[in-house]
Amino acid sequence: MTVSSAPEVAFGVLPRADGSARYSHAGYTVLASVNGPIEAQRRDEHAYEAHVDVIVRPAAGVGGTRERHLEAILQSSLSQLILIKNFPRCLIQIVLQVESSPENDYVNTKLVQASLNFALMPTLMQTAILALLSAGVPMRATATATAIAVSHDKTVVDPSPRDVETARSVHVLAFTSQDDLLLAESEGDFTVKEWDDIYEAAKKICCRPAPDGASMQLDDDDSSPAAVGPDLRQFLRSTMESKVAADLHWK
Amino acid sequence: MSAPTPPTVSLSAPIFAKLTPHPFLLRTLRPSEPGAKPLRTNGRTPAETRPLRANPSSLSHAHGSALVRAGDTTVVCGVRGELLPVDRIPQFRPLPPRSATAAAATGDDGPQTIPDAAAAAGGAAIGRGELKDYDLLVPNIELATGSAPQFLPGVPPTTLAQTLSTRVCSLLHSTRMVDVEDLRVWYKPGGAGGGDSSGDGDVTMTTEGAHDAEGQEEEPERVVAYWVLYIDLLFVSFDGNPFDAAWAAVVAALRDTQLPAARWDPDREILVCSPADKRRLNIRGLPVACSAAVFLEKELSESGADAAEGRHWLLMDPDRSEETLCREVVTVVVDCSDGETRIKSIEKHGGTVIGRELMRGFVGVAEKRWREVKEVLKA
Repeated sequence: MTVSSAPEVAFGVLPRADGSARYSHAGYTVLASVNGPIEAQRRDEHAYEAHVDVIVRPAAGVGGTRERHLEAILQSSLSQLILIKNFPRCLIQIVLQVESSPENDYVNTKLVQASLNFALMPTLMQTAILALLSAGVPMRATATATAIAVSHDKTVVDPSPRDVETARSVHVLAFTSQDDLLLAESEGDFTVKEWDDIYEAAKKICCRPAPDGASMQLDDDDSSPAAVGPDLRQFLRSTMESKVAADLHWK
Repeated sequence: MSAPTPPTVSLSAPIFAKLTPHPFLLRTLRPSEPGAKPLRTNGRTPAETRPLRANPSSLSHAHGSALVRAGDTTVVCGVRGELLPVDRIPQFRPLPPRSATAAAATGDDGPQTIPDAAAAAGGAAIGRGELKDYDLLVPNIELATGSAPQFLPGVPPTTLAQTLSTRVCSLLHSTRMVDVEDLRVWYKPGGAGGGDSSGDGDVTMTTEGAHDAEGQEEEPERVVAYWVLYIDLLFVSFDGNPFDAAWAAVVAALRDTQLPAARWDPDREILVCSPADKRRLNIRGLPVACSAAVFLEKELSESGADAAEGRHWLLMDPDRSEETLCREVVTVVVDCSDGETRIKSIEKHGGTVIGRELMRGFVGVAEKRWREVKEVLKA
């Protein structure tokens, strides 16, 4: 069974957090809350910059080493995006709770798994960005992320757990809104050439140039977007536009 | 009257380095004298790695061990096997008999067979599921107190230690280095002398036994236990770039590992090991990790998009002081043992400097590193 739902997001689902977002894509649903800038604990305090604290909670059980690794990756990536120098001695806390992940009969779903969950990483990243936007934390850029699995001869965008299990190599790439490569995690068995192709494919998904208003319909018809995956940057932009429009409706 | 000269404060290099590490490293990388080579504070050129030294079989009580040193980063790895009887495994799925598996490695439709991977790696495709499902490889990393000043005594495992062990575990599974056939303990009821545990290179006696059993068509051969490999790593001294050293130690220790032959004794209903009869694991390939950190001329500015402005240096095999100054890190694991360069893993995060071109170039650097490490580990 393939879960290839379009991305969906709801903002402000947690009333007491500074910002929150619930995002679901490719079978995963993640709820994120952002609080910050708030006072940092003494041990986390940095004299010149804000401390970004990322907490990942799995769908079931308590977080293990795998979650710590995800946290470390997200933390270093998000610190690049957030203007941490603007908030010295502060803390920006991002809590990511996985609400649901795609069920699969083939793949053994143990609670504690040590190896990295590649399919989940883009959703976590995307949710964190959306929640940061919702909290109004100043950022240098936004980012979009995608996961790609390469089986024998075909590439699968947003792979299911079964795809990840059978794939020869799995890749997660994230790009900033300035088209720079922010994050690249790959595993499996591949060559430089294959990685180049993956890079191209991921860039197409993450960094598709914004269509001009008039030609938008035409573009969609021409390039059959279903084949290349969702346009994440466009999604980010349009959801934020509609959120801002709704927020300013009273004016 | 001459103008008053501004008061100058001259500091020795170590104090300068301590007070303002970033300008100090920048100064050495961008020497003011023309013709001087850009060096790092540790005297290496940006692309120079620390020589790796490996000392296998350094622990007497482990089944396999290695001590790996890269500069002041020293890590000891010990591999110890423990037998896990299958009746202790929850949700154990019995395997088809070994002869059937060998005969129909690709055509087999067992529940764990993965079609794509089976074509790629033969019968090992089944093994990947077993290794993962039954947790037959258990890496653990400890950063010893006192190996570096930031590791305090009496605290739970740090994020770094947990991250490292996840990365090692993930890579162990994805590279499929360990052949699960080495870890299975088979038992053939009625076979002469019981099932021998060794996967290949069987002694003549066992082969005869297999023929006898085929003629009799008795109970099929079955797996009675698995070896679980506990891979423990201890950082004796920590001076940056822990993953490269840890991974080299894991590879060296696994290549050194000799497990005693184990067999099922049906009369006593226990597993019996014969320490005299040892055999090595079949380790597939030689993946080598190569890391670098990106040092930026300007630290990230407060606002605006000029994050990647200014020069940057790719510092190979960063030491501890360099790691604190660099945000972006890249690790590439390559294996050139088949002649062709296969990338096993890419990890890059924390910055936007390394794009596509730099990554391509870095894979070339990793190939060079692979040859160096190969020489060290072969010795």
